[in-house]
Amino acid sequence: MGQIFSGLLNRLWGSKEVRILILGLDGAGKTTILYRLQIGEVVTTIPTIGFNVETVNYKNIKFQVWDLGGQTSIRPYWRCYYTNTDAIIYVVDSVDKDRIATSKEELIAMLDEEELKDAALLVFANKQDMEGAMSVMDVSNALGLSLLKNRTWTIFKCSAVTGEGLTEGMDWLVNTIEGKK
Amino acid sequence: MQAAVTKFTQNALADLRRQNFFSTAKKGENFELKADLNSEYKERRKDTVKRVIANMTIGKDVSSLFADVVKNMQTDDIELKKLVYLYLINYAKSQPELVILAVNTFVKDTDDPNPLIRALAIRTMGCLRVEEITNYLCEPLRKCLRDDNPYVRKTAAICVAKLYDLNPQLTVDNGFVATLQEMISDSNPVVVANAVAALSEINDSSTQKGLFNINNSILLKLLAALNESTEWGQICILTTLADYVPVDEKEAENIVERVIPRLQHANASVVLSAVKVFMVYMNQNYITSEKTINLIVKKMTPPLVTLVSDHSEIQYVALRNINLILQKRSDILSQEIRVFFCKYNDPPYVKLEKLEVMIQLCNDKNVDQVLSEFKEYCNEVDVDFVRRSVRAIGRCAIKLESAAERCVNVLLELISSHVNYVLQEAIVVMKDIFRKYPHSYEGVIVNLCKNLESLDEPEAKASLIWIIGEYAEKIDNANELLEFFLEGFKEESSMVQLQLITAIVKLFLKKPSQAQDSVQKILQTATQSCDNPDIRDRAYIYWRLLSTNPQAAKTVVLAEKPPIESHTKIVSDSLLDELIANIGTLASVYYKPASLFGGRTGDNKIFSTPAEDANADIEGVPGTTIGGVENLLDLDFDDSSAQKSSTPPSAAPKSGMNDLLDLLNDDVPPMGNTGLSQPSTPSNNVQNDLLSILGGGNNTMSSSNIMSPGLNSNNLMSPNSGLGGLGGLSMMSQPQQPQKTVMLPANEGKGMEISAVFVKRQNKFFMELTFSNKTAQPLSEIAIQFNKNTYGLIPLAPIGINVIPPNESRDFTLPLGTNGPVQQMNPPTLLQIAVKNNLGVYYFQHVLPTSLFETPSTTPSMPSFGMNMNNNNNNNNSNNGLDGLLI
Repeated sequence: MGQIFSGLLNRLWGSKEVRILILGLDGAGKTTILYRLQIGEVVTTIPTIGFNVETVNYKNIKFQVWDLGGQTSIRPYWRCYYTNTDAIIYVVDSVDKDRIATSKEELIAMLDEEELKDAALLVFANKQDMEGAMSVMDVSNALGLSLLKNRTWTIFKCSAVTGEGLTEGMDWLVNTIEGKK
Repeated sequence: MQAAVTKFTQNALADLRRQNFFSTAKKGENFELKADLNSEYKERRKDTVKRVIANMTIGKDVSSLFADVVKNMQTDDIELKKLVYLYLINYAKSQPELVILAVNTFVKDTDDPNPLIRALAIRTMGCLRVEEITNYLCEPLRKCLRDDNPYVRKTAAICVAKLYDLNPQLTVDNGFVATLQEMISDSNPVVVANAVAALSEINDSSTQKGLFNINNSILLKLLAALNESTEWGQICILTTLADYVPVDEKEAENIVERVIPRLQHANASVVLSAVKVFMVYMNQNYITSEKTINLIVKKMTPPLVTLVSDHSEIQYVALRNINLILQKRSDILSQEIRVFFCKYNDPPYVKLEKLEVMIQLCNDKNVDQVLSEFKEYCNEVDVDFVRRSVRAIGRCAIKLESAAERCVNVLLELISSHVNYVLQEAIVVMKDIFRKYPHSYEGVIVNLCKNLESLDEPEAKASLIWIIGEYAEKIDNANELLEFFLEGFKEESSMVQLQLITAIVKLFLKKPSQAQDSVQKILQTATQSCDNPDIRDRAYIYWRLLSTNPQAAKTVVLAEKPPIESHTKIVSDSLLDELIANIGTLASVYYKPASLFGGRTGDNKIFSTPAEDANADIEGVPGTTIGGVENLLDLDFDDSSAQKSSTPPSAAPKSGMNDLLDLLNDDVPPMGNTGLSQPSTPSNNVQNDLLSILGGGNNTMSSSNIMSPGLNSNNLMSPNSGLGGLGGLSMMSQPQQPQKTVMLPANEGKGMEISAVFVKRQNKFFMELTFSNKTAQPLSEIAIQFNKNTYGLIPLAPIGINVIPPNESRDFTLPLGTNGPVQQMNPPTLLQIAVKNNLGVYYFQHVLPTSLFETPSTTPSMPSFGMNMNNNNNNNNSNNGLDGLLI
């Protein structure tokens, strides 16, 4: 009896995927974070021309995680992937102070999209293991996160290389998504 | 009014907007597909991709779904992946900028542990042909070229050729071509074959040659790979071998030895490719040893025979190629003619090709067998095939002189069968036989003429009329027969009309008494009631010819015709060489150069002479009516004239060409009182000259020059004008347009130069003079006198030139009489001349051409001809005439 019930649950829950986008400027560490989440290892990556998509199981939720290339040439096509998105992971290179303004522009432009109006936003201030990294507060201010309206959002400091902060971020995501249902 | 209309339109548009006609509530199928492609459920996405592909295959435009389909590309499901790849290949070109989204997936797939996926990815990437991603293609391609798995390597090899086509520089810079060259040494034969295929394709399309050079070690590898390759690999290697130039005969023999076993392959294309290697090597004389050639010929025969017993489609391809091979080497298959006998259930296209092969193969030994086959075919129901069979009999007769009589007998039997289309075709064929063997089978003519009334096809009628005209002196009732046709002259097609005019003129020249009325009647009808300029002009020319110089007319109209040769060539020799090098391809089936099929652009063996091109085209369609310009070209290709439907009169215009010059020349003075000029030096290499001029490529130019009505006699006289050149082409004893010769050089005449020529027109003699003043003062008081001479020539008028200014020339035509004082000279035609001017008196002498004094044997008086001629000719635009003349 229990088996049948769990099978039914699996059909209802298991096959449905939660769609998450990982966005950010090129070199922010999106692909590394994706594979860190999926296989728990640091892989060597090349710039992503196009996208990666992986299924990540976390706390019994099946995430379909899309990692889109961050190069200028590909950014215009991010919008092709907004449909049915439940949450956005926005990755910022905390060391790259020069381009944090560009990063903000891209973030604001993206959040303006109609299709993303219900998506939760998780910002990762990445590369905290490196010297000269901006603090979480600095990044948050630079992106102007506090000014966001009608948006469920948070920011975590993290390092894809060490794995620091990723779990916390994912936990927040799971809670937020389950809370929505 | 304007404002009202504008207002109305605006209102209407506003109405439309209000009613939301433009924003449809329905989003359409693509919208639904798009939503489903982004579904949360995997299975649903896969089903949707299938629906998208289904729509794509039936032609619905689903390119707008590009980004959404590509999203499904990264998957473990190989079926889904293949579907997405299929979609990509189809729509990448319409969405080039979005293709970049797929690049990362391709790169990942070329790292896949599954070699099938690696190969699939690199193949698809190569197929996309989008400039935007070529740069991203390089790394994966480099990886795949060095893959452990041969399947991936061979796929990558082809991909290099595709990349080269898109961006040659990039391909070379990345060293891919060099890698391909290394791959020829690969351990796997399939990889070798594909590398060879890629390299030869790159070499063909590349502007810089030498990207693919075969040396001894490569050759050995190719030969080793030949046995183990797949059939397509074998074809590719064989093609490369056919293009290869062996260093010496030993190497060539070695190659041949290794290729011979390929003849036993089950795949027809492999067999033909092997045949190609042999044919090219024999053709290029890479192989000269009698023994090897005999071996090759012996080995080639059975596989070719086998191909002819395959499916009809393969038979057709094989037969087309066999025809080419036979034109090159008639010794192959000579024992196997039975194989090519048509079976009752062969499709028509195979039958026609078999007929060709049979004609090529027929020789003294098997001709009886072949003839009885042809006779059999004449009883078939397929009219077209029957006609071709009748024609084939004629071609046999022309090809084999020894068998000609038997062929004629068969034709006679066919004629007596009274099947209308057989009869008509047989008459056409008989005409060719008469052309080839004149005066041999005249007894047949009676039988032909019996069927006069049942003829309804123009070609048959024209042929019979030609035969009657040609043998008019042997046919007692020739005039009656021709008059039969004359009754319906105006309703006939132009082919028949032209023949009838010529035939009646021939009859008139042969039997003047019989055809006086007919010739008058037909020339009058043709010139007055025919709209076709060809017919009108031919009638004018004959008319003019008859009225001015019947003797000349005889030489023109009844001139000896050049012999026709057997017509077994299907294509011209240069084209044949190219086609031989392309045996087993479309080129050798269509008999067109390979360059016409797109592909091999770098091939420089393509023949370029338009004459040959036209010739090839004509010969591809035997038995069609051919226009005049092409016939001009045919003069260069005697071999083809046998098949030309309009052959018979071709000789007459050839000889008539020069007369035409004379005649038109005559027409220039409107009074028509200038006579026909007389020949001064008969030229005996006329035929060659004529041919060289016609073959010179500017034949149409010279034709129009000839016909130009604005010519005056001075132009004709000038040796440098184009017509002067043509004037030198006089036929046999035909009158030649004489050229002036310098009789008194300036240094002997105190600066006065005299050039002159003696001509005879309408039995009157004229001396055409050109006086050139090379002094610094005007010349005047010019007078001329002749010494007593053999013919009593005497000037009839004073020189009508008052003054010649310095450095100028004056022309004068001096009429001469023959009633002057006579004195026997030695030689008899010597004429001593004295000329005087204000500076002094000069003496010179000239030997007149004897031909000047030859008189025509008969001079029938037909004054009406001349008058009509002049009346009509003045408003006759003669520029159109040459076409008809030369048919």
